[in-house]
Amino acid sequence: MGIDISIQIGGEAGQGIQTVGQLLSLVCQKAGLYVFAINDYESRVRGGESFLQLRIADRPIDAPYHRLHLLIALDRKAYDLHKSELDDGGLVMIDTEIGVEGDSVFTLPINALAKQAGGLITANTVAASACIGLLGGPLTLLNEVLEDLFGKKEKSVMDKNLMAASLGFKAVQLAKFQWAFSWQEKEPKGIMLDGAQSIALGALASDCRFAAFYPMSPATAIMSYLVSYGQKGLPVVVEQVEDEIAAVNMAIGASFAGVRSMTATSGGGFCLMTEGLGLAAISETPLVIVNAQRPGPATGMATRTAQADLLFAIYASQDEFPRFIFAPGTINEAYDTMQKAFLLSEKYQVPSIVLVDHFFNTSLYIADKPFQVPDRIERFYVTDQEISNPASYLRFQVTPDGISPRALPCNGDALVLVTGNEHSEDGHNSEAIDVRIAMADKRMKKIAAMTKEMKPPESYYGDAEMLLLGWGSSKGAIREAVDILRKYGMDAGCLHFVDIWPFPAQIVADMLKKKKRIVMVEGNMTAQLGRIIKEQTGIAYTHTLLKYDGRPFYPQKIVDQFMQ
Amino acid sequence: MIDISRYDSTFENKWCPGCGNFGILQAMKHALSSLTIPPEKVLIVSGIGQAGKTPHFIRCNMFHGLHGRALPVATGAKVANHDLTVLVSSGDGDCYGEGGNHFIHAIRRNPNITLLVHNNQVYGLTKGQASPTSSIGMITKLQPHGVHQTPFNPILVALSLGATFVARGFSGKIQQLSQLIQQGIQHRGFSIIDICQPCVSFNSINTYPWYQKRIYELDEATHNRSDLKHAMELATEWEERIPLGIIYQSQRPAFEDTIDALKTLPLVKQETQVDQLRTIMNNEHKRN
Ligand SMILES: Cc1ncc(C[n+]2csc(CCOP(=O)(O)OP(=O)(O)O)c2C)c(N)n1
Ligand code: SF4
Ligand SMILES: [Mg+2]
Repeated sequence: MGIDISIQIGGEAGQGIQTVGQLLSLVCQKAGLYVFAINDYESRVRGGESFLQLRIADRPIDAPYHRLHLLIALDRKAYDLHKSELDDGGLVMIDTEIGVEGDSVFTLPINALAKQAGGLITANTVAASACIGLLGGPLTLLNEVLEDLFGKKEKSVMDKNLMAASLGFKAVQLAKFQWAFSWQEKEPKGIMLDGAQSIALGALASDCRFAAFYPMSPATAIMSYLVSYGQKGLPVVVEQVEDEIAAVNMAIGASFAGVRSMTATSGGGFCLMTEGLGLAAISETPLVIVNAQRPGPATGMATRTAQADLLFAIYASQDEFPRFIFAPGTINEAYDTMQKAFLLSEKYQVPSIVLVDHFFNTSLYIADKPFQVPDRIERFYVTDQEISNPASYLRFQVTPDGISPRALPCNGDALVLVTGNEHSEDGHNSEAIDVRIAMADKRMKKIAAMTKEMKPPESYYGDAEMLLLGWGSSKGAIREAVDILRKYGMDAGCLHFVDIWPFPAQIVADMLKKKKRIVMVEGNMTAQLGRIIKEQTGIAYTHTLLKYDGRPFYPQKIVDQFMQ
Repeated sequence: MIDISRYDSTFENKWCPGCGNFGILQAMKHALSSLTIPPEKVLIVSGIGQAGKTPHFIRCNMFHGLHGRALPVATGAKVANHDLTVLVSSGDGDCYGEGGNHFIHAIRRNPNITLLVHNNQVYGLTKGQASPTSSIGMITKLQPHGVHQTPFNPILVALSLGATFVARGFSGKIQQLSQLIQQGIQHRGFSIIDICQPCVSFNSINTYPWYQKRIYELDEATHNRSDLKHAMELATEWEERIPLGIIYQSQRPAFEDTIDALKTLPLVKQETQVDQLRTIMNNEHKRN
């Protein structure tokens, strides 16, 4: 077994959990290790108990580990709450001042050392460097990270932190930690970022130029990344608006006028956007909506995770219209999926919905493939030159594939007439029977070609007789569960869905033929994807492993439940 | 002047004969032709209602969106292409009821667009229910005991929120209304024109004679448009006298002027910054 270590930093919000986590993960990343971290916190700014759980491995990981090898307890409560999660031989690192004793407790005068280094503010550095020391890591890497972070600040800040690092490191020289390993000098495996950041970068790589939003966890982080990247000389406008209704309509307005546009929200906000979704559909205006799911109904749990808006995303509408739905499972998939969502939304002039969730948005990943930027962004609109007679341009011309050439307003002589009422080819309102049928048919006709754009679910040991099926952010956990099951000698595999709608029914039916067990692993109560599969292919799942406690999936827990 | 017939739409007009909307439509065409803004440079955004149908009856670009949601669409379009002259045609229900939140925040945001509210003090399209501006006591099928809410005062609300251009017109005074629309378009920022518009089918209170008896034009020579206090007083005039004209005007940066990315070309015309994007992606690599 290679390196696979789980470290939790727990304490009150505002105590520096993030800082310790950041220092540790940066050091590990520099050392060419894979890191993965989840953030667990309450919906409050200060106080409360939070933790960051970091997993370090020498192979790609996209899921948290269910036990702890090292617990860095920044307060007594963290110790009380989490000591039972320690693996055999695991350690708790805690400040001597807190006064906890026990076999697995390793006390360290963290605050005293910090004061010695120049101030309590460096306590996080002391803790991080002690942790690196326990793991057998080199202090030099931590010093490099500190240099990256504080190098541009006053020299005294840097000096204090270097001192703190050296004191923390020395303090654990004699301590023994069962999972210490020998660190090798390797290149970083990739960039380290959270899910929200990959969504934002994917949007930028799609040449998204306008985003409107109303703050709602866990979607807001996507927008704050867009804002900060927008300040780096990109033609991007991000506007916080009065409500989600304004957000979706403003994005539609910008898209109508020719720039790629998006909005991001969570379930409650997505509800408010539903009429706008219909407007995008009937006006055939491209639009990307990211729904970062959290548990509901209503406000539900603002800082917890869920995968329970799938059916709503598929069916949210007035009447019927085509749409794309995607649910990326990894950081690289999210980057690529955003580009696909923008491209296809514009190509087919239909809305694209991207489903992520709190777990994905707030977790820290290593992207092991570089983020490529295409040389040219393919656009799908026509100019006067491509329209035979601009003076009689028909925005909603009926065509064999249902896609009408889309001109932009103020981009030539062609006038662009668009309405959310049913309309004839020229864009004027019409309720004539033949017009209504022609237009409804025209919009729906796109589905055939849209379905062909859907990539099949990714198969991992797809030939196995038992398949675990999942979608979105649980990918890493499910794949790892399959690895464990196979080690136990079971013939298990999995299918992971990113491209969900229009549902690639034929392909999926073929993949599910003659399976002994089809197990739906989903973050909802009713196996929503399972129901879609049944509806679309006639194939019924045999078992479910459902989770709706607001917490992420853990590979071993999937296995344990599966064995029952 | 552009030949006014260039703005004529061939689409069949669906308003009742005698409706005040015809005067507004005429004034819009006149204003655009006077300012020589050709149809292809104009975008008219509307919501739902009789007023919302306006862009079908004038030949320009059109986005006829959802009930109450014209302002966000218009703002988005303007940000994407600030070469567009953007007008919004909205009703009193559309703008002050369903879309009230957007009205409030558009004022705060101050986008460079012109809002025309066809204020007939009733829901025309849905056949005569009370609107946010209906008078107290107005009896309708759905309000058989008469409206009991205080009417929404759009002018006063706009002034209180720091609107930069607040005017009132009357659909029966097409020349003056055209002037107001022209000045609204030329104003850099959000221009609001609340237009008294008789609905001959469902509003038997606020009729042409009712308005004719009360309206008066603000004297351009003596009225000080930058006097907010006085503007607020004018805003409360209604039952006895109704002032027409630019009630208040001031200057502050328009929404688009506050956005660095819009300092040069319209957003839609700018080049994709592939190199800059690559730098960002590469720096992400290095930073971590
Ligand atoms: C979401 C939604 N709610 C309600 C309606 C029904 N509706 C259409 S127009 C309208 C009121 C229109 O009144 P107003 O804005 O004053 O326009 P007018 O017809 O008087 O010009 C209503 C309630 C709708 N189309 N959409
Ligand atoms: S119902 Fe009233 S507002 Fe509507 S068209 Fe007729 S007169 Fe005009
Ligand atoms: Mg009305």
